[in-house]
Amino acid sequence: MKTLITFLLVLPLCAQDAPKPAQDANKPAQEPAKPAEAVAPAAAPAEAAPAGESWLKGSLQIGYRWIPNIDGSLNTYRSVVNLGEGLRLLDTDFTLLNPSKRFFDRADVHASSWGGDPYNTLRVDVQKSGAYRLTADYRSIAYFNFLPSFADPSLSQGLLLDQNSFDTRIRTTDVQLDLLPNKWITPYVGFSRNTQFGRGITGFHTGFNDYPVASLYSDQTNTYRAGVRIELGRYHVTLEQGGTTFKDDQGASDAGPNAGNFTGLFLGSTLPLNSLNELYRVRGDSIYTKALLAANPYSWMSVTGQFVYAKPRTDINYTEASTGTFYLQRILQFYSAGQDVLVGDANLPHVSGSLTVELRPLRRLRVVEYWMTDRFHNAANALLAENLIVSGAPLTDQQLLSDRLVLNSNREEIDAFYDLLPQLTLRGGYRFEWGDTQVRAPILTGLALQSADLRRNVGIAGVNYRIGQKLRITGDAEGSSSDQTYFRTSLQNYEKAHIRASYDLSAEWRLAADFSLLNNSNPAPNVMLDYSAKIESASVFWTPKAIKWANLLADYSRSAVRSNIIYLVPQTLSPTPSIYRDNGHSLSVVAGIKWFSLGGSLYVSSGSRPTTYYQPLARFNWPVYKHVEWITEWRWYSMAEDFYGIENFRSNQLTTSLRFTR
Amino acid sequence: MLNSSLTGLSRAAAGIVLMASCLTISAQPPAKSAEPAKPAEPAKALEYVGSETCKACHEEIFNNLQKTPHSAIETGARRGWDQKSCESCHGPGSKHAESASADDIKNPAKLAPGQVDRTCLQCHLNQNTPVGRLASGHAKDQVACTSCHSVHGAGGAKLVIHNKTEINQKCSTCHLTQWASFNRPYKHRLPEGAMSCVDCHNPHASFRDDTVRTAFGNEPGCLQCHSDKRGPFVYEHPVLRLEGCTACHDPHGSANPRMLTRHEVRLVCLECHANLPIPVAQPPSLGGVPPALHDLRSPRFQNCTICHTKVHGSNVDRTFFR
Repeated sequence: MKTLITFLLVLPLCAQDAPKPAQDANKPAQEPAKPAEAVAPAAAPAEAAPAGESWLKGSLQIGYRWIPNIDGSLNTYRSVVNLGEGLRLLDTDFTLLNPSKRFFDRADVHASSWGGDPYNTLRVDVQKSGAYRLTADYRSIAYFNFLPSFADPSLSQGLLLDQNSFDTRIRTTDVQLDLLPNKWITPYVGFSRNTQFGRGITGFHTGFNDYPVASLYSDQTNTYRAGVRIELGRYHVTLEQGGTTFKDDQGASDAGPNAGNFTGLFLGSTLPLNSLNELYRVRGDSIYTKALLAANPYSWMSVTGQFVYAKPRTDINYTEASTGTFYLQRILQFYSAGQDVLVGDANLPHVSGSLTVELRPLRRLRVVEYWMTDRFHNAANALLAENLIVSGAPLTDQQLLSDRLVLNSNREEIDAFYDLLPQLTLRGGYRFEWGDTQVRAPILTGLALQSADLRRNVGIAGVNYRIGQKLRITGDAEGSSSDQTYFRTSLQNYEKAHIRASYDLSAEWRLAADFSLLNNSNPAPNVMLDYSAKIESASVFWTPKAIKWANLLADYSRSAVRSNIIYLVPQTLSPTPSIYRDNGHSLSVVAGIKWFSLGGSLYVSSGSRPTTYYQPLARFNWPVYKHVEWITEWRWYSMAEDFYGIENFRSNQLTTSLRFTR
Repeated sequence: MLNSSLTGLSRAAAGIVLMASCLTISAQPPAKSAEPAKPAEPAKALEYVGSETCKACHEEIFNNLQKTPHSAIETGARRGWDQKSCESCHGPGSKHAESASADDIKNPAKLAPGQVDRTCLQCHLNQNTPVGRLASGHAKDQVACTSCHSVHGAGGAKLVIHNKTEINQKCSTCHLTQWASFNRPYKHRLPEGAMSCVDCHNPHASFRDDTVRTAFGNEPGCLQCHSDKRGPFVYEHPVLRLEGCTACHDPHGSANPRMLTRHEVRLVCLECHANLPIPVAQPPSLGGVPPALHDLRSPRFQNCTICHTKVHGSNVDRTFFR
């Protein structure tokens, strides 16, 4: 990250090194066009600053945010909004055109929300025509999640605690360097990193009790890749070799005494945790090989395909030491201390391939055949050594554990597109999905593995109608009747439809509508799944030409989810429906009148978890000077839940900033 | 319910076809009045005239193009269109140059999306992102490349926007229902500008459903940021591998914490782990478990992840306790 920022700071210096940029920039524009032979292919004057254009263009917005109040639950506010008070670099977006073309032709930089905000982004794109292109993307997101309604068995006792909570930061970096872009052979290298670091609360379960304990999260994944793109007229190939390294050092600890969630007496004794030290030390690596093929062998035929082989593996070292009063059902005794050590490994060879062929036998007809397969096989082994102190004496045990998961998944689809009219295209098709899997069987069945198959036949239809860019209607639908699926909730007998339309009523008005539907059912006697999700949306965009100081953007969406499925209540062994309902209304409006904008968004839902979430805003943009704008924005965040009033919050925020443009 | 939905769909489809027919008829050019037949002229072969000829009338467009990566077509000999970049997409322009009539030149904006795509894919078929374009959802829905890409670089020197906020605005103009989900309280941080739609989706194509990007070669793109969930684990939670993250999460947004598909954790779990065996006559379903002893009336057992903490996969315990 430091390297990136240093690079960012150095870029303007490189650009400024060029003497007399204005004259240099003018020169090519004033010269007459050279004959074709005189132009060197690699010397593309693409991004030179033309006459009259600045070598630096962009904007910078710096401001201060006040948060006078956060009423209600601060933890919910942080879980949902998480914006803080203070000076911020709200946004910057600039382009450097290097007149000297030394080192680079052009650099684009965009950064937002720096200076303490929970979401920081940075993107840098530097290129020199015909020589290289370097892109770097960085994102840092604060992940705070602490909601008692999620996992708090002590809520009825008045304790507000989320026993699965996080206060971490996730950082993602991606850098890619393409050499000789637009040449016959383009090599490239890339690097990605994802890290998570922070604290939280997790559960520790042993015997008949479970305890909320402090947790430390620390993991990092690095991905390295290098490849080459080869373009040979009608045939193109990309070959890429990559690899990853992974490490996870999560730990949990507690200094006790911790009564846990079971606070009563068990066989006349409480079950406290006096101390805990738990450490995961997972190290992983993988390689992958990727090959992409694209070809236009004939004017009536196109072919694309890809093949990927990956082999991720992990090595696990786990240690746990705990003291307290625990009960172990296996020996029907209490024990006072436990020490577990586990070493293990898991390997998951994973092969994927796909092939697409498009045939154009007639001018109006296209046929697309698609085939895909995805196969993996996880084989894992672990050795667990347990050492317990039972009535003052050690009791040791060792278990050799193993597990596997196999999936062979395939899909074949054929679609025919027919241009019935120049404006109207019809589509029809058929898809067959099939596969088989082996997974670990439930504990009490006495089996090691359980198998299941997938057989799904899907019919497909679609229509597309358009008049230029003015009117556009797209509809597609698919339906399936399956006799075998993997899970009770999988798509089995389903219908899916989607209709989308947009209409440019005039140069000032744009209307759009979107409708989607999914019905799924599984009539098996012990499942009785009946699921339906329907969403309707409409939007209006108004930008009057005559009244340049007014505009309107409004979106409304209504969603309805209805789900019924049967499960068996363990304590009564009676089948009971799991019912879920969600009826949501969502509205976003922004109306602009000269320097003022008013609007915001709201979400109101009823059903299983009634919620309202309002985010109104008012903005004032005043052009102070030719290149300076004063922006002041007021926002109101308000969330209320009918069933979990303890998590409601409200907050006012005022942000004032200056935006400089050049 | 299903019948009524299907009936509604049928009516909607019939309405669309009817409306399309009417609009098509109304869009036809009026019949020309009968004119005396002219003697047939020998058809001239169409020829390439070069970009300088185009520039004479379309200077602004030409100058914009020269600021974009497409300028390589004009200046590079590799693709065979040097000094003819305009005609590389618009076709030979000799007739148009003579008549100045828009009818005499190929205008991709007026072509069927499939034809537009073929024009672009002549050069771009092999690039990493559009390689699976032929089978993508956008291609099936006849969304042409030019719906998102500005070929001439109008409004800037970029062929496509890179600013996350602008990307989201672009996608949301069509994907209204998806964007509405981001008004919900628990969502990925797209409205805040921390992420964009293309961080998770490859708009060109993916061999995964819903054009979800791939990470580490062939795994779901979700793992690019949530790589601690990648594994492989000693004990996998099969649903993650077989159905993906969306079996339990609504990644666009939800009113339920952690973007869960249900309002309580136990219902997310129990709908699969239902304690109900499938009858022998039925094909087996995974995830069913024999009756457990959990007393769901106790808050301890209403939050499964309090004990089953490693629900995304465990390296130590087959029941995901640790």
